[in-house]
Amino acid sequence: MEPLIQVENLVKRHVGRGLGGHRADFTAVDSVSFSILPRTTLALVGESGSGKSSLALCLACLERVTAGRIWFEGRDLAALEEKELRAVRPKLQIVFQDPANSLNPRWTVGEIVAEPLLVQGRTSKRDRGARAAQVLERVGMASEYWERKPRELSGGQRQRVAIARALILEPRLLILDEVLSALDCSIQAKIANLLVELQRLYGLAYLFITHDLKMAGHLADEIVVMSEGKIVEQGAAEKILRSPRHSETRSLVGASPLEPETTGPVQEL
Amino acid sequence: MSAPSRLLACIAVLGALHLCVACAGFFAPYDPAAQDRARPYAPPMRPHFVDAQGGFHLLPFFYAQELRAGSFDQYEENRVRAIPVRFFVTGASYHVLGVLPLRIHLFGGGDAPLYLLGSDGYGRDLLSRILVGGQVSLLAGLIGAGLTLSIGLCIGTVAGLLGGWKDEVLMRIAELFLALPWIYLLFAMRAFLPLTVPPLKAFLLVVMVIAAVGWARPARMVRAIVLSARERDFVRAARGFGASDGYLLRRHILPETASVVLTQAAILVPQFVLAEMTLSFLGLGVPEPVPSWGNMLASLQHYNVLVSYWWMYLPAVAMVPFFLGYLVLASLLQADYGTSKMDEALAEI
Amino acid sequence: MTRFFLRRLAHAAFLLLGVSVLAFLFSTLAPGNYFDDMRLNPQISAEQLSALRAAYGVDQPFALRYARWAGAVSRGDLGFSFAYNAPVGPLLWTRARNTLLLTGTATTLVWMLALPLGVWSAERLGRPADVALSWATAVFLIVPDLTLALGLLVLAVRSGWLPTGGLVSVGFDGFSALHRVRDVAWHMVLPVTVLVASALPVLLRHVRAAVAEALQAPFLRAAEGLGISRRRLLYRYVLPAAAHPLIALFGFSLGTLLSASLLVEVVMSWPGLGPFLLEAILARDLYVVIGGVLLSTLFLVAGSFMADLLLYWADPRIRAKASRP
Repeated sequence: MEPLIQVENLVKRHVGRGLGGHRADFTAVDSVSFSILPRTTLALVGESGSGKSSLALCLACLERVTAGRIWFEGRDLAALEEKELRAVRPKLQIVFQDPANSLNPRWTVGEIVAEPLLVQGRTSKRDRGARAAQVLERVGMASEYWERKPRELSGGQRQRVAIARALILEPRLLILDEVLSALDCSIQAKIANLLVELQRLYGLAYLFITHDLKMAGHLADEIVVMSEGKIVEQGAAEKILRSPRHSETRSLVGASPLEPETTGPVQEL
Repeated sequence: MSAPSRLLACIAVLGALHLCVACAGFFAPYDPAAQDRARPYAPPMRPHFVDAQGGFHLLPFFYAQELRAGSFDQYEENRVRAIPVRFFVTGASYHVLGVLPLRIHLFGGGDAPLYLLGSDGYGRDLLSRILVGGQVSLLAGLIGAGLTLSIGLCIGTVAGLLGGWKDEVLMRIAELFLALPWIYLLFAMRAFLPLTVPPLKAFLLVVMVIAAVGWARPARMVRAIVLSARERDFVRAARGFGASDGYLLRRHILPETASVVLTQAAILVPQFVLAEMTLSFLGLGVPEPVPSWGNMLASLQHYNVLVSYWWMYLPAVAMVPFFLGYLVLASLLQADYGTSKMDEALAEI
Repeated sequence: MTRFFLRRLAHAAFLLLGVSVLAFLFSTLAPGNYFDDMRLNPQISAEQLSALRAAYGVDQPFALRYARWAGAVSRGDLGFSFAYNAPVGPLLWTRARNTLLLTGTATTLVWMLALPLGVWSAERLGRPADVALSWATAVFLIVPDLTLALGLLVLAVRSGWLPTGGLVSVGFDGFSALHRVRDVAWHMVLPVTVLVASALPVLLRHVRAAVAEALQAPFLRAAEGLGISRRRLLYRYVLPAAAHPLIALFGFSLGTLLSASLLVEVVMSWPGLGPFLLEAILARDLYVVIGGVLLSTLFLVAGSFMADLLLYWADPRIRAKASRP
């Protein structure tokens, strides 16, 4: 099968200043390569500072890559101009970690979810409302919430709204940047199951970024482990969890609270 | 009282005060330029409720004041000439908002000299002058604040969005403007403009100078907000759907600045009214014969006025209710927008 | 340490330079100048006028004039006053001394009041005592300094308790040293009161906010647990923690007081920079105005610079950051 997205030797360097004023460039992503097949989940696992979020932003075309290629639908996203990117953007959407930050507190839920359609400018107001309602129902947000503001919702509900917003443009790839990390354990399971269901329903591919290897094991088909900007281990999820080889992977396995289980629906509390 | 209704109450009171001044022609019994050479520096009139025959009146009446024989500034009441207060009288002509000519006044003494708050050196009714003078001072404050905030908003947004050296340059210039004690800057700017100008031009000059001095602080505050708003994930997400910079600015970033701009407005308007008053008081602002609270106080620089004619001080008191209103408004706005006290404190610096 | 010092010094120099350029720029943009007004005077002939203009270099391009002036200033020569026909420097300096006296006293007093009162209110945040103090000082917030100054003056005149202006009483030269000091102090009461009253409310609120925030720091609870006395705690631990915003506030307060003093000096006839500057403006005396503006900026910048040094001494975090290679 053709991969949906293929990352080739991606490098992301931040230009900065160290103490004393000399130039101190920081390489967040150091020549990373991987690919994601359609309708599958690739988990990107690593400690904070390993470069996962930088990679996510590059893939979502929210940051310019320093070097490397991102092949998507036959084109190199890294080489495209903003004008050309506009047509591609709906197909790659990102959901951020902290919904308190990623949802505009002054807008209502309905407005937030409909915003992508507004920005793309192709649908009428009524259609926007209808589409938003549709996708909100799919993520489990009842209609009574649509006029509310984010501060009136719980963390889990806000994340549902963020997911709904990402889905409304019917993307093919969803980048999930630590979307469960800010939630309570019991809610994590619910949202994780929602993600699995949505994947099945919409035929999405996921790039699931996390520091929780156990969760990655539940949701992902393939796991890529990152450390200090480089990939240190990658392979099928089960294999990685059962016999981790790199020290980084091993410490991540050790950090997970329970024994790794087989993939499947997460046990809800 | 709940927060929104407190805010509304405050705005209502301020609005009423401004309305009085805006309709100064109606509320003022006399034409502010009409001189009564027979009654210079007449003191405020005393209300009487019991007339010579012992009859009680609910509505107070006044006795006309005449100069005591042989004196040039001592007045006595002429018990023969009683002036009742009449409402909705026809008096001097005035223009509402500069357009509509009317002659009806809220109250007045008709042809009789009803100078409730006394008169100035030319025999002009002080109450009328205070009301009309308020138009000049308040307008200067409001327009000046509007201008300054617009400039500050533009510059702050541009600096926050562009970043890099352009941002540095703009902020350094702002720092320069903040480095000067503002009155000195005001004076320096005013100094280098023509001194004797016709009143309208002087007014515009004053407003422009005040506005040019005050933009730096709002600009810095707006820039800080723009910088932090740029980094918010919802702005990133919007870019992810393909939003243009213009859209981001309009829909996400500028609304964040609204609270700062409003609070700054409530703080700046009284400051600018005061700036106009200061300039006019010192002779650098709006000149005679157009009344402004500032130039009406200028006569107090003469010792004899200071000693003998205390009512000439009243224009200085006239602005206190406005100050109070704006102060309450500013603190209510700051409370509602919930920044931490420290942020407020630092933001003002 | 020296690097921090030099950096702040460079910053101060930059500000002064910038302000001087700004001031000079305004003057060139000005329509008409001293000499144009002089043209109307029939006693001065056209040749005299053009000679004067040449002498002052009025017709030369901006950059040249600025360079000449800047060069002169760096040698200590602030230019020539057209109206007084004397060098600007000494004229300004006597007045500046008086302004410094007034503003310096007011600044000291206002901080001496604001700090303890601010700490006191911050401790009782929200309680009746604090609220009462806020309301009491709010009175001065509402009453603008012009109103207050004029009002006090009217009171002073009518009651005859305090002198109604000026620096010294008649017969000053004949006073003994002690009497002189008392006399000046007596004349300072009214203007200093106005200045302190106008600056205190805002300063108090800011001190209160800064200290209230510092009071929430967890290390305080630990310190309390060690048994350190309340007063020592407040003044040796809390206040330094709040030092950073407070010292920024100091520069700000200096600016407001210098501004306010201009007006107060004029109203109370205090012979400082204020009335002198006003006179110069009305007489279109270019170099005096620029010199006066520059001098006031110098005071402000110098004050902030001292505040920065104070901050460096007070806040160990800044010291550590500055001393890293």
